[in-house]
Amino acid sequence: MTAHDLTVVTNGLTKQFGDLVAADHIDLEVAAGTVVALLGPNGAGKTTVVRMLATLSAPTSGTATVCGHDIVREADAVRSVISLTGQFAALEDNLTARENLVLMARLRGYARGAATRVVNGLIDRFDIGEFRDKLVKALSGGERRRVDLAASLVVQPKLLVLDEPTTGLDPRSRQVVWSTVRDLVDEGVTVLLTTQYLDEADALADTIVLIDHGRTVAAGTPSDLKARIGDQRVDVVAVDGAGLDGLVAALSGRFEVDVVRVRRTISVPAPDEIADLAEVAAAVGASGIPIDEIALRRPTLDDAFLALTGQPIDTEPKGDPENVSGATRKDLAGVTS
Amino acid sequence: MTTITFPAPRTPQRAETPPPRPARFPRYLSETSLLVGRGLRMIRRVPERLSDVTVQPVMFTLLFLYVFGSAIHVSGLSYQNYLLPGLLGQSLAFGVIGAGVATSTDFSTGVIDRFRSLPVTRMSVISAQVIGQIIEQILGIVIVIGVGLALGWRPDLDPARGLELVGLMLLALFAFTWLGVLAGMLIRSSDAMQGLGFAIMLPLSFLAGTFVPIAGMKLVPRTIAEWDPLSAIVASVRQVCQGTQSTGSLQLQHPVPAMIAWCALIMAVCIPLALRRFRTVNA
Repeated sequence: MTAHDLTVVTNGLTKQFGDLVAADHIDLEVAAGTVVALLGPNGAGKTTVVRMLATLSAPTSGTATVCGHDIVREADAVRSVISLTGQFAALEDNLTARENLVLMARLRGYARGAATRVVNGLIDRFDIGEFRDKLVKALSGGERRRVDLAASLVVQPKLLVLDEPTTGLDPRSRQVVWSTVRDLVDEGVTVLLTTQYLDEADALADTIVLIDHGRTVAAGTPSDLKARIGDQRVDVVAVDGAGLDGLVAALSGRFEVDVVRVRRTISVPAPDEIADLAEVAAAVGASGIPIDEIALRRPTLDDAFLALTGQPIDTEPKGDPENVSGATRKDLAGVTS
Repeated sequence: MTTITFPAPRTPQRAETPPPRPARFPRYLSETSLLVGRGLRMIRRVPERLSDVTVQPVMFTLLFLYVFGSAIHVSGLSYQNYLLPGLLGQSLAFGVIGAGVATSTDFSTGVIDRFRSLPVTRMSVISAQVIGQIIEQILGIVIVIGVGLALGWRPDLDPARGLELVGLMLLALFAFTWLGVLAGMLIRSSDAMQGLGFAIMLPLSFLAGTFVPIAGMKLVPRTIAEWDPLSAIVASVRQVCQGTQSTGSLQLQHPVPAMIAWCALIMAVCIPLALRRFRTVNA
């Protein structure tokens, strides 16, 4: 692949905040017209990488180019080919949705009339019409995110950078974000996104880069990584220890079982998904042993880390999305002030 | 859930291409005016943002004029004529709080990040911040002047001194707004900025001969007051408005040059630091 086909290239990109190495020798290549997902838990360094590429913060060492422009020496050229949608909707709370979009369009250099046309197009495209004249502070999270996305598409960028675009969103808004990303890719836009969700990376990305503690721990296509992570599993949760023993005895002959005793859980690989679920359920039913729960479980980010790094993610248990983002905001403030 | 329909975005339309970008300086001007316009629109939307520069000085005026004023005697001047120039001086310096709070809010919400990720000149973002704040402060000062005149303040101004007053006030506004923008970028929490701003500025203002003459203070507060930069500002405004001559420390004997020097010092320190901080903030 020639340099021309690569929208983003980083070489040993590193960012240090005091003693903390937030990004540690990140080497990335994002081919033009593809979607690359940086996948990792909170505090892994995803936002740090994205902020450097968006010229918001300068690397401590290493280099990076976007569309061939150096992010430090040619920052202005980089800014004219990228669009950034940050983790927190960067809109003016006290302006309406429409005023925010017009302001972005005018700042991008459109004259008044052209700005109005562009904004009307975006309002249409993202179904903002209903709340276009509401103040942004009165909008729901999903509505804000749509306005935010529209604001970053005032000009069709060559590279769209999305920092955790669906964290804290309801499932429907999440779908809107996903379909927007797919549309843009069809139009030839290159997308670099960060996410904490394995299913999001799987659904959107051509390449997934797993990041932890500022380092790249694995990279590959979703199917490639999934093959390494393992398939979906059927989990059977027993009522008590005796029940668990009984179930192990009943199932181990027919299935390849993993037992997690503390959780009273038997886990069976389920490459055929529902068919496997049915088969395990039938075997459990035949044994006559009562159970608490039986479920088909998709691999999570935790499973991915366990499979690819041999270590679980060592962050605090995740609370609700609000709390998670609140903590991130605080962490960032602590690091940067 | 609800019945709100949430269709996926329609087939995208081709984005209109923006016009070729003009030369740097006209671009700077148009970007700055767009961003100033954004700030001014906010004043209309959130009038309480102006309370620092309106309600609060009006409250001080009423409090001192009608509550404490009867116990304060200033020789040779009515208390209105003593107090109002002092409050004007205080308003100039308090600009630091308004500018700081607005800046820290902008920086903590990510709006500034978005502007910084656009191909707009960075100078225009920070210029707009400063210009917008100065306009807000001027609005507040006009209100204080109006209230003062209504309550019996009689400034003794000829056109030349009027111009001198305007010039001095703009200089101080400019300097203290830059100080506020720098502080807002460093502190980054608007609550902390508000609290810290008042904790520092209020004592400095009480010591500055704003409300009572410095000469009557005890040794320690008097010594602080004689070198308090706000004292020079208050004394200058009073000298220009009422023709008074302050006495005491060197800066009080020559308040106007002292005020200009303080403002120059603040600008010399704060402008380069603020610009540097703006370029590297979060870096």
